[in-house]
Amino acid sequence: MAPNPLQSLHYHHHHHHSLLRLQHSDSQPTSSLFLKPRTSISTATNTSLSLSISSSSSTTTTFSISPTTSITPSASQTFSLDLLRQHLSTQNLRQADEETRRLLIVLAGEATQKRGYVFFSEVQFISEKDLKAIDELWKQYSNNKFGYSIQKRIWQKNAGKDFTKFFLKVGWMKKLDTEVVQYNYRSFPNEFIWELNDDTPEGHLPLTNALRGTQLLNSILNHPAFEDIKEEDEVDGENKHGKPDNGLREEENSSKPLSKRLFKPNYSF
Amino acid sequence: MASLVSSPFTLPSLKADQLSSLSQKHYFLHSFLPKKTIQTNPKSSMKVKCAAIGNGLFTQTTPEVRRIVPENNQNLPTVKIVYVVLEAQYQSSLTAAVQSLNENSKFASYEVVGYLVEELRDESTYKTFCKDLEDANIFIGSLIFVEELALKVKTAVEKERDRLDAVLVFPSMPEVMRLNKLGSFSMSQLGQSKSPFFQLLKRKKQGAGFAESMLKLVRTLPKVLKYLPSDKAQDARLYILSLQFWLGGSPDNLQNFLKMISVSYVPALKGKKIEYSDPVLFLDNGIWHPLAPTMFDDVKEYLNWYGTRKDANEKLKGPNVPVIGLILQRSHIVTGDDGHYVAVIMELEARGAKVIPIFAGALDFSGPVERFLIDPVTKKPMVNSVVSLTGFALVGGPARQDHPRAVEALRKLDVPYIVALPLVFQTTEEWLNSTLGLHPIQVALQVALPELDGGMEPIVFAGRDPRTGKSHALHKRVEQLCTRAIRWAELKRKSKAEKKLAITVFSFPPDKGNIGTAAYLNVFSSIYSVLKDLKKDGYNVEGLPETSEALIEDIIHDKEAQFSSPNLNIAYKMGVREYQSLTPYATALEENWGKPPGNLNSDGENLLVYGKQYGNVFIGVQPTFGYEGDPMRLLFSKSASPHHGFAAYYSFVEKIFNADAVLHFGTHGSLEFMPGKQVGMSDVCYPDSLIGNIPNVYYYAANNPSEATIAKRRSYANTISYLTPPAENAGLYKGLKQLSELISSYQSLKDTGRGPQIVSSIISTAKQCNLDKDVELPDEGEEIPAKERDLVVGKVYSKIMEIESRLLPCGLHVIGEPPSAMEAVATLVNIAALNRPEDGISSLPTILAETVGQNIEEVYRGSDKGILKDVELLRQITEASRGAISAFVERTTNKKGQVVDVTNKLSSILGFGINEPWVQYLSNTKFYRADREKLRTLFQFLGECLKLVVADNELGSLKQALEGKYVEPGPGGDPIRNPKVLPTGKNIHALDPQAIPTTAAMQSAKVVVDRLIERQKADNGGKYPETIALVLWGTDNIKTYGESLAQVLWMIGVKPVADTFGRVNRVEPVSLEELGRPRIDVVVNCSGVFRDLFINQMNLLDRAVKMVAELDEPADQNYVRKHALEQAEALGIDVREAATRVFSNASGSYSSNINLAVENSSWNDENQLQDMYLSRKSFAFDCDAPGAGMMEKRQVFEMVLSTADATFQNLDSSEISLTDVSHYFDSDPTNLVQNLRKDKKKPSAYIADTTTANAQVRTLSETVRLDARTKLLNPKWYEGMMSSGYEGVREIEKRLTNTVGWSATSGQVDNWVYEEANSTFIQDEEMLNRLISTNPNSFRKLVQTFLEANGRGYWETSQENIEKLRQLYSEVEDKIEGIDR
Repeated sequence: MAPNPLQSLHYHHHHHHSLLRLQHSDSQPTSSLFLKPRTSISTATNTSLSLSISSSSSTTTTFSISPTTSITPSASQTFSLDLLRQHLSTQNLRQADEETRRLLIVLAGEATQKRGYVFFSEVQFISEKDLKAIDELWKQYSNNKFGYSIQKRIWQKNAGKDFTKFFLKVGWMKKLDTEVVQYNYRSFPNEFIWELNDDTPEGHLPLTNALRGTQLLNSILNHPAFEDIKEEDEVDGENKHGKPDNGLREEENSSKPLSKRLFKPNYSF
Repeated sequence: MASLVSSPFTLPSLKADQLSSLSQKHYFLHSFLPKKTIQTNPKSSMKVKCAAIGNGLFTQTTPEVRRIVPENNQNLPTVKIVYVVLEAQYQSSLTAAVQSLNENSKFASYEVVGYLVEELRDESTYKTFCKDLEDANIFIGSLIFVEELALKVKTAVEKERDRLDAVLVFPSMPEVMRLNKLGSFSMSQLGQSKSPFFQLLKRKKQGAGFAESMLKLVRTLPKVLKYLPSDKAQDARLYILSLQFWLGGSPDNLQNFLKMISVSYVPALKGKKIEYSDPVLFLDNGIWHPLAPTMFDDVKEYLNWYGTRKDANEKLKGPNVPVIGLILQRSHIVTGDDGHYVAVIMELEARGAKVIPIFAGALDFSGPVERFLIDPVTKKPMVNSVVSLTGFALVGGPARQDHPRAVEALRKLDVPYIVALPLVFQTTEEWLNSTLGLHPIQVALQVALPELDGGMEPIVFAGRDPRTGKSHALHKRVEQLCTRAIRWAELKRKSKAEKKLAITVFSFPPDKGNIGTAAYLNVFSSIYSVLKDLKKDGYNVEGLPETSEALIEDIIHDKEAQFSSPNLNIAYKMGVREYQSLTPYATALEENWGKPPGNLNSDGENLLVYGKQYGNVFIGVQPTFGYEGDPMRLLFSKSASPHHGFAAYYSFVEKIFNADAVLHFGTHGSLEFMPGKQVGMSDVCYPDSLIGNIPNVYYYAANNPSEATIAKRRSYANTISYLTPPAENAGLYKGLKQLSELISSYQSLKDTGRGPQIVSSIISTAKQCNLDKDVELPDEGEEIPAKERDLVVGKVYSKIMEIESRLLPCGLHVIGEPPSAMEAVATLVNIAALNRPEDGISSLPTILAETVGQNIEEVYRGSDKGILKDVELLRQITEASRGAISAFVERTTNKKGQVVDVTNKLSSILGFGINEPWVQYLSNTKFYRADREKLRTLFQFLGECLKLVVADNELGSLKQALEGKYVEPGPGGDPIRNPKVLPTGKNIHALDPQAIPTTAAMQSAKVVVDRLIERQKADNGGKYPETIALVLWGTDNIKTYGESLAQVLWMIGVKPVADTFGRVNRVEPVSLEELGRPRIDVVVNCSGVFRDLFINQMNLLDRAVKMVAELDEPADQNYVRKHALEQAEALGIDVREAATRVFSNASGSYSSNINLAVENSSWNDENQLQDMYLSRKSFAFDCDAPGAGMMEKRQVFEMVLSTADATFQNLDSSEISLTDVSHYFDSDPTNLVQNLRKDKKKPSAYIADTTTANAQVRTLSETVRLDARTKLLNPKWYEGMMSSGYEGVREIEKRLTNTVGWSATSGQVDNWVYEEANSTFIQDEEMLNRLISTNPNSFRKLVQTFLEANGRGYWETSQENIEKLRQLYSEVEDKIEGIDR
């Protein structure tokens, strides 16, 4: 298991680094995380919720199920990229998207599988290698248009780490027809684009929904797997005013969104 | 030097029609309306339509998304289920249950269709519902508490009840509960049967009793029933099991529930072997965390588990992080609709806060709060702040609330209490589209009611998906909620020394003389007093000056600032780039204000923040709206965005100064009136963006609960009430005093032959005092017959007494300085003047009148007519009341004049009946035989009141708020009517909007309406008025529990009907026989605040009007119908649409802006003001399309105004009168009506005065005169103001400006009022010099206003006077600008 990689990322304030590492490797032997094939993701959740899901309007409930059609129960619990590769290579994006979420759940651990969705603080249990591998597949089959690393770049560079802006950039939110500019989430699955077209927004897939807020996506984008996506100095597009003239603040500001900087949160999960 | 001629009138002479083309853009800038409804045709583009897509209702969702029709390939018997629920969270769970039944069942196939309660408003949906019921087997209902809809459900189900195989209704209104039937088990006798079963179910007096006892039943009854073999018990048992299944909520439970009911009651399935399991029971109450393997029912166990979480770091598990308590609804957890809860938990944990999420299955959360959030050993809270995510009141949910119990629990908990809410009645998109914001019923249930518990910050954090019904997080809202919850928690954790506080003062209207304005409050003295206290308490207030005057100097820099020196002290210069990076919404402001920095609060390069910092305290000046002087915007902008300077101020406070809390100082500022949804802000609503993350504490006048509520809902304020200054009797002065002496000598000498001579002196003095307009006086020298002399004198006497006993707040209140006991006497006298039958208290005048064998009401009537002996008796009663109460107060007061220990004193007084001070006092008067028992009851009550009046909690409550403690809630209003307003220092709330009008209010309303009509008939040749134009104010209706609302109902002849819970949601017509007169038509102008607080009542009124218009009655007996028919004909619309009478501003906009125009002298002529009124006030609420919000209906508005014979407003409490505030003239349409009427006749204008026990209806001009005599021209009043210094001068100027406002809108101000004001303030050299030196800016405005009054033709005076004013103006202008001559 990757020893709690999030700890070394982005957060300056924690002092319990080594202690935590120790704890984790003690209490959670690596093997138990990925290698235990489970027979089902709890049938109750699986069957009962599947109906309500397909028709919801926000980016919605996708976590709570694994797609019933495409995955055989025995295969569902092991980590293998074969299915994802297969879907992507056949441009079966809808299924590839579902499979990606399923893989994250599998990677995040046993408890996650029972629950059916990833809690943001479980992302640290996903190894750099695995997450990168998923991302690589997406990039590979989309001419570098899709994938978490693509999303990270957009989120960081074009959206100034603002999720509303990001959702708009990647086409997960839509502008409403009201006089004051307002946005709503797109309805899943019909309002999303399941084809790789020229006008499909960059970073549109894979989906991570906002049903439970943005912390999960935030954790994924901040995963060490995507650490090397550097925050490039000047931001293009609409964020060009985004920097204060104060040098010190600028430095701080570019590493964290303003609200968080001012808030001094501790993310060291 | 500024040119006088041009200064007040410098506006370009743009005509309204020219303006319109220019400003069309502004007009629409800030609506949230869908674009498609705006047409290109300029004329129709003025019509604003809202989210009235589809059916015009609040929600457009349809039950079809919930319908499941089985394929049923195997020809199984079909079971059809129809359900109606409030809780959309059941939808996905039920759908899942039915799907899997259909997949697996070999016995039956299930058809299901579900309705959300709110959808039944739509006629066609309701029809489908009825049709669905026709072949249904099973009906299920839950939480049906909205009366209108409950009745619809009842009617529809009742028809099919016998045929249905089973009817199951879970907690709902009794009417719907009675539909329950399972075999032999029926609830049709609910509430009537004596059986213990029903006794248990019967709602108790206490709070959520009903739902609670049901749950108790669920817990205990199955055990009992097991041992009862009879069929009846079996049916009852199955009902209880059903309830358990239902409350268990999971798809599994619901599946078993449906199996159980169908095999037991559907004939086709009877006897079939269908297996079902017992309900899987979850904890009733407990702690839940998405990561936890189980629910906990012990907080220690939960925290132990928390400590073992491997995903969390040590810091989060450790003791040094904020801990947030969350309150959740169990049904969301068990049905699996918990995404929005998980979002909040993740957000809080990601921000480094620990969470304790507790839930309850019932409607009473007070128990769980005490059990799980308070340490059982130390009794200390285990959390630093609490957020309820249920949206409901802590006790009672949508049913019957018990606020005292909630307050009790929260007081024990003693942390900030936030009540956020998920959308219930609307989908996400519907809410976003709506200018109203939150659905009014949800506002009533989930915003207004939690406020009575002391709940704050009604942030909509979750939306609802239209198809699955599931809740989902609104990510930005969740962020806002969580950050704010943590910020409040930090107040609990931080030390006083490190806490940073930003005190914000206002400047209304924008003028240097107005810095630090607040109603009834001496702002700087109060700030000074607060800061001194905070300093003592350990806050860092370094460098605080020695006096409050020095504090003013510091902030205003120099009251007589040099021309070149900046106006105010600049605390911070914010560069444009910095501003933009700190203010994410800055670009949105550019559409209105151009690129930053703009020219407001700016030096051309930087944005300027005015104020001054002392240690950790910053005192800043809130920028103004910025468009006060811009007639174009005043006229056309429905609302405008804040300007860059305004935004920069709040960015500074939040992000540069890093305030831990902002304290808005006094009633009221601009923040909470910035555009956005009325209630339930979204990401783009300005009040929400501006306040950002800062906890907001707001000192608010106790008598203004309505605007306080706006501040509470739109700017998330913890509103702490302050007392209005102690009232005094106006007293008499100058000529009025002479008159009273003359009258007194007349009474003793009238039979001596000197009578005629004294009477003629009385007449001439009365004329000098300009009383001849109020009292009909014979010509001087005219011989008056002896027997008529008494009447003449009586009338003058009555008028004088009216002036003398008028209450007025003297001076300005200072926080931390409660009134002395003796200062409270006048207030107590007035408290004592009201009968309080509900408490068994007779008023003092009633008791005294009885003593001399009179009925007080008759004395009042006689005195009103000027019957000398009645006037005299009333005076004696008043005098005796004052004397007795003074005697009582003296005995409870120490030498310093402060109240000492009322309770002890009182009990010692009461112990020795003979020594009762009031008895002693009265023994020397003609009332010596007054009823002692009644007196004792009354004085006991007065003693309690006295204790409350002088209580000093305002500072204490502020400190509590700043320390992150719970501030107890309390009603706002008039302490005389409702002493529960006292003591001040409470978190003010309004009231349950569905509670008004009360029966008592209806009673009082009838009296006023009858007197009004009487008066109009008397003045108007015995003719009934056909239409009355009147105003509804938020505060008035709160104070009086809906009296003015009830007046409207009575004018059109309908009465309110309350439901089982005492909520008013229905009206019915009163027959013409009972009414005894025609139904009077109305034009109701609701203030923006009323609209925000009482949209349900606007709906009720509109329904009432439409109902009356559709009655089959002769036109001469029903003017509503008469006019509606005419208007329908003229406009080519149907009668129902023509019967539109309930108007207000567009959503998110307030006032006609006439007040701003007048205060800033920024208007050309009266037509322009009238245009403002018409364009801003012509938005109607339509009960047939409530979801559409406010729609422009200007044509009907004008047409119905043109039929008005009278205009009318209410004055309901003594401290706010016509010229005290600008609101009253702002909403007065008198001149406008005249202009619109075909005959150009001026309508009569009336003001009802219910401030005293003897309610009056006066003409507007009488009331203006009365107001001028008791305030502006009364030495007692203006000297009181002058003693408050700087702010006092401004108060004087404000009265004069408001008087000009009355001239402008109604023309009802007499010349002598201005003349007298001029001699009082300008001709008196000494006064003049005091004014100039105390506040030159306000004095300049005073002079300007005099000149304006003359320039606009409202005041004719000598050329000499005008010359002097002009000269003074230039002198003071030079002085202010520092030009030496």
